[in-house]
Parts: sequence; C-alpha cells; structure tokens
Amino acid sequence: MNIRDIAAQRILNVDLATGQVSTEEVSRRDLVRLLGGRGLAAKFLYERIPAGTDPLGPENVLIWSPGTLSGTNAPSSGRTSVTCKGPATGLYLKVSVGGHLGAELKYAGYDYLVISGRAPHPVYLWVDDDRVEIRPAQHLWGKGTRETDDLIKAELDDDEIQTGIIGPAGENKVLFSCIMVSRYNSASRGGVGAVMGSKNLKAVAVRGRGALRVARPKPYFDLAARMRRELAADAGSESLYNWGTSGSIPGLDEMGMLAAYNFSQVTIDNSERLSGQYLVDEGYLTGRESCFACSTACHRYVKSHSDRWGDVDDSGPELETMMSLGAECGLTDTEAVLRANHLCNDYGLDTISAGHVISWAMECYERGVISPEQAEGLELGFGNAEAQLELIRRIAFREGLLGDLLAEGTQRASAEVGGDSWKWAIQAKGLEQSAVDTRAAKSYALAFAVNPRGPDHLMTETYAEFGFTEEAREVIRKITGDEKYANATLLEKRADIVRWHEDCYAATEALGFCVFTSTAAFAVNPENMAELFGHALGIEFSEEELMLGGRRIVTLERCFNAREGARREDDMLPWRMMNEPVPDGPNKGMITDQAMLDRFLDEYYALHGWDPATGIPQVETLKALDLADVCRVLPEA
Amino acid sequence: MTSLSVNADKCTACRACELTCSFVKEGVFAPYRSRIRIVRLHGFNVPVVCVNCAQAPCIEVCPTGAVYRDRAVPVVRINEAECIGCRECIKACPFGAADWDDDKDVAIMCDLCGGEPACVASCIYGALDFEPEATVVRRKRRATAEAIAARTAG
Repeated sequence: MNIRDIAAQRILNVDLATGQVSTEEVSRRDLVRLLGGRGLAAKFLYERIPAGTDPLGPENVLIWSPGTLSGTNAPSSGRTSVTCKGPATGLYLKVSVGGHLGAELKYAGYDYLVISGRAPHPVYLWVDDDRVEIRPAQHLWGKGTRETDDLIKAELDDDEIQTGIIGPAGENKVLFSCIMVSRYNSASRGGVGAVMGSKNLKAVAVRGRGALRVARPKPYFDLAARMRRELAADAGSESLYNWGTSGSIPGLDEMGMLAAYNFSQVTIDNSERLSGQYLVDEGYLTGRESCFACSTACHRYVKSHSDRWGDVDDSGPELETMMSLGAECGLTDTEAVLRANHLCNDYGLDTISAGHVISWAMECYERGVISPEQAEGLELGFGNAEAQLELIRRIAFREGLLGDLLAEGTQRASAEVGGDSWKWAIQAKGLEQSAVDTRAAKSYALAFAVNPRGPDHLMTETYAEFGFTEEAREVIRKITGDEKYANATLLEKRADIVRWHEDCYAATEALGFCVFTSTAAFAVNPENMAELFGHALGIEFSEEELMLGGRRIVTLERCFNAREGARREDDMLPWRMMNEPVPDGPNKGMITDQAMLDRFLDEYYALHGWDPATGIPQVETLKALDLADVCRVLPEA
Repeated sequence: MTSLSVNADKCTACRACELTCSFVKEGVFAPYRSRIRIVRLHGFNVPVVCVNCAQAPCIEVCPTGAVYRDRAVPVVRINEAECIGCRECIKACPFGAADWDDDKDVAIMCDLCGGEPACVASCIYGALDFEPEATVVRRKRRATAEAIAARTAG
C-alpha cells in the first residue's frame, strides 16, 4: 500500500471535457513559501485561468485542497479549501469546509484535485486511490444531496466513501448554491456549487486507503497530541462543544449585535429560540459531531417533528443560518428555521445568502418595490415562514420569475427590481454579508471590506478585537503592543489587527486547521503551527516564516482580483452598513462610514505595500515577498 | 479483568483514536491500518474494536496458532510472524474488529497496546474507557439503582 511523505505533494488533474486524468508533483519551494492547501490553490488558480474567464464557463477550474497537515492527528486540521473564480462576484473565491473528504483525498494520494472543463453530460468523479473514473450521473441529476449520497454509496457498494455533492440549486447555477461535503458539511459561499453544476459535475466521491508519514514522527505526534488537549480545555472550545456556534446568540443579543429584519434591527423578540442553548434545552439536539481530527465538535445534529413545517433529521444549523434564515427574515420559530436549514442543505443552497436574499425580498415587498403580482401568490412580509420555505424551493429550481430572479443574488436582483432596493441589498462585490454587524466592530468592518470574496467573516475574523478573554487580549497585545486596543469600537490599530489576522487565517487554512482554533479559541497559534509544519517537512520553520507564508497567500489572492480589474473602490461594505447607523441598543448611533473606511484602507494598504490609489500590490512588495515570479502579468499599479 | 469499553453516545467521530492507533502501531497516519474504527451512522457514531471474546472464534479458526490469548495483559493477540494470511480470523470475527493490513499482508487486531491503550488516552470526548470490568459494572449497577430511586421518589 501507498505510504506517502507529507512533504511530497501531488496534484490530480481531471479534465472533464476530454476525460483526461494526470498527476504532477508540487515543488518543495512552492510548498514552503505558500504552505500548501489554500496557498497553493491560489497559485494554481492564478496560473491556470486567464483574466476575464467566465466563472460558469468550461475554462474555470475547481480546486479541492485539503490542508498540508490534514490526515494527521493535529487537532481540527481536517479542513479543505475549495477554490475557483466565483460566479457571484466574478472574483477570487475560496470556501473552506470540514467533514472527512479532505483527509480521504490525502489518503488516496492527492493533495490537490484540480477539475477543469465541462463534461458533455452529467457525471460524477470517483477517486478510488490510484483509480480515477468519470462515471455517468444522469440518474442523479435533479436529486437532492441526501438521496444522491445514498445512491452513490449504494452504487459503489461502500458506505465509508466521502462525497462532495451539489443539489438542484448547483445544477441550476443558483449564484449562492453550495456543495454538501461528507453529507453534513457545507462548502457554502459565493456560488461554488454553480461552478460544479456548470461543469455537469454532480459529485466527487473519494476512497483513500493509503498512509501519510511525517518527517519527524515522534515530535510531531507528541506536539499535536498536546495541542489537542490544550484546545479541548480552552473555554471557547468548551462553549462550542456544548452549544455550537449558535451558543453565541444570547451574548450577541446582549451586545446589541443581532442581525434582524434584513439588518434594519439589532434585536428580535424571542431570539433565544434561535440559540444553541434552546436546541439543547428543548431536546432538538441529538448529537455533537466532529470534523476530521477535531477536538471541538461544534457541529450539531438535530431532529424535530412538526406537523406544520415537516420533520427534520439533519445537521446544523449554525449561528449564521439561525441569523439569516431566522432573525433576518423576522422568524424565531425554531422548527420552521430547522426546516429551512434542512431544505437548503438538501437543495444545496448557502444558508447565509439564501436568508439574506429572502430577507431582501421581504423588505422589498413591505416597501411595495416587489408587488403582490411579482410575488406570484406569496405573502412575502417579514415573519412568514411558509413563504420563506416555498421561496427556498423556487430559488433552487429557478421556478417562476421570482425564483429565477432571486437565484441571481441581491446585487443582480436589486438592479433588476430597481428603485432604492439596492440600498437594502446587504451585499458588496456581489456577495451577501454574513450576519455580523460591522457598524460596531471596526476591525470586522475593514476585514469585510477588503475580503477578496466579499463581506463575510470566513476569510478572516478579528474576534480578538473584542478582548473577551485573556488569550484574546494577549493576541491584541502581541499585534499592537498594548492590550488597550482590544476594543472593537476604537479606530486606532484596526489595520494592524486585520492584517495580522489575515496572515494567521490564511496560514491556518493552508495547513488545514479550523480557524476557530486559531482566531476564536487560541490554543492553535502561529508558533505551534510553525513547529508542526517544520516537523512534518523535516525543516526548521519559524513563526515569522509561517506568517509570511500567510501574507503571500493574501497578496496572491489580491493579485488575482487586481488582474480581474478590482480596485480600491471595490473594497466596500453594503450601503446600509455604511449609511444607516445602528438603530438602538448599546451601539445605538454607531456607523462605519466612507470616511472611516477610507482611513482604515489608507493604513491597511500602507502596511501591505499596496498602491494607495488602486489597492494593487506594488512590484517591490511582490519582490520582497518572493512572489514576483508568480504574479508576472499584474497590471501596472 | 481490565477492558476497553465504548460509550458510543459520546463519540463525535473525530477519529483521533484511528490516527493514534495507526501511528503507534505502524508509525503512519492511516485509518485503514487502525485497530479501532469509527462507524458513522447518521448523527450517531460507534467505535468498533476487538472485545476480547472469552471463546474467541479468531483463535479457534487460526490454523497456525498465530492468534492466541496473551494471559499477561490479558488480550487476544496475533503473532504477525506466524500469520500466513489465510484471513480466517477476519471472517470469523462477529464484530468486524479484525482486519487486513494491505501493507504488511497480515491480519491486524487490537492488543490493547500491551495494557495501556493509546486510543483511550487520545479520546477527549470520553467515548473510550479502559477500566477494570468490576468498576464498570459497579458504576452501571449504581446508576441503575439511582434511576429506579429517582423514578420511585418522583
């Protein structure tokens, strides 16, 4: 059987148009400077598709990259990046997903799966160690993600294979369709499911029977085991285990930072019914699940029986789902939201955008911008769960004019509907903002604005700026020299905080760690990540080198967008978040307006060595980062 | 007798036990070469591992005596040097707890690491215990009694 050194990285290339399959090796220099995973995927994307590529055309590539340390006992290190040019934004898109698929791909012998071309008819990809097969999938087309998972496992006669599957939403190229991975984990944002759908690729199925070897086994194993114990003991981890991500809802309510009624309110009655505590107390929670090698187990498994909304036996929902499909749509009926989450999972929709597209439509309806005729029989006002559930289905199947319109996301839908509706389309760059109030958290505001895939917390998260724990304050002290900057409403040092977190986040994901472990809990940190990376490859590797690797990744992603024409004016937040102050609660009156954002951007670009007028990385910056050979065709700054 | 017991309701399927087992036994990370395996059902996960049967079918069917009872631990063990690869033990195991190692061409089964199972130490969720059977039984007996008492009092 195949025993592979972690440092000997391999790419599996699959061209769906020709059926050609090939493998190639990754140079050690690239692995060390870009750390693998998300980092190398950014390089491949930059190199393999030219500027202007149609995200839904056959030329786009879809890159699956588990982390460099995925498949080992490093705690919470089993995550996978899926990278492509995104259809919602027309820019760089990376989504990160848990589950067990990434580790399985590593055991099969591959660190990267690069899928290009478009199959002439629906297919799925079957990677069974060395044997790679493109199999017909006409019989799976149109089916939900769960049934497809069952059918593939039955057909291959193996219920332990790992899958990544799109639902009808991805087939129909909904611009916020997702990929369901290992059945219960969602690679969500930016329409990554539509890219798979555009390739006629219904699913990826993987079986790996190989083994992974690290260069310094004993030190690696012992350090990883120690990190695992430290992480499990972290207070943040404990809360995530007990209550899941939605355990934060009572705290956010207290802070006046809930996102409700399409971001027009920061409170909603009965918000506790959306909380992780409520799921436990009321008996909806039936299980706590880990992703591969995780020592937190924040993932939920829930069951509910409802005559009104239908039964649920599914994973989730996460905090963001509770906010977007719940509070944002004016809903706190737990069973309705569980059902909405289940439908999104089965149809293959990103719950964050699905919720925000529907809450936008609800506001349009209440303001008379979408007429009852345009609503096609749906009473679309806030709080109508029945209309929401029906809309989820219509969007996934692009049914009717409204379903088809909303399937395009709020940027395009508001352009179509007209009036002032763009002002309450909570999007920037074409991506709906996740349910984080950037008016009262300034590092978050900057991080969201410069996020290459659009405004959300999943490319970098600056949770430490709240200074909730001693560990968080220590991180801020480390970055700024003084823990007084652990205050989310201060304007000073926000650029420093964002840049450090971006570097750390990118390195975290390149290695395969879950960002919760390094930027929400802090037991995984640049120092021990660097040490593990060194043990894995058999090299000396410092914290500074690791963070520099993260910086290279962030810069490369920036270069991709610059080549597509993105400029300073695209580093923007949704109109409402920059023009309507927080309406009530402890943060009443707060706003991150254009002047404030401009100040942040000036500081942030200067720190990076990016051109202040355009936001494009300067040539000297690329040379200093040893990236000049990668970003060869960058437009002049 | 001290034995490995499984609390499946606490298992989150992180699979640290599989990784630890394959590392300790083979020096690599490979769930396929782990003596303990996690079966993921929908929302429920079950660690499956050798239970050390008193009348062990694997010992009975082994033609060379490679599978034997090590009374010092005690545990059912396989002497890999004497394994001829007939796979009879794998077929005989009613639990799916004996498996085949493709790399070494021998059958593999849990040997409790000679009395200090590494998987138990790796499990942070409390899904694996290694305790004297008498302790486990006494604890369960007490829990049963307390449940009855609570019902009666309530």
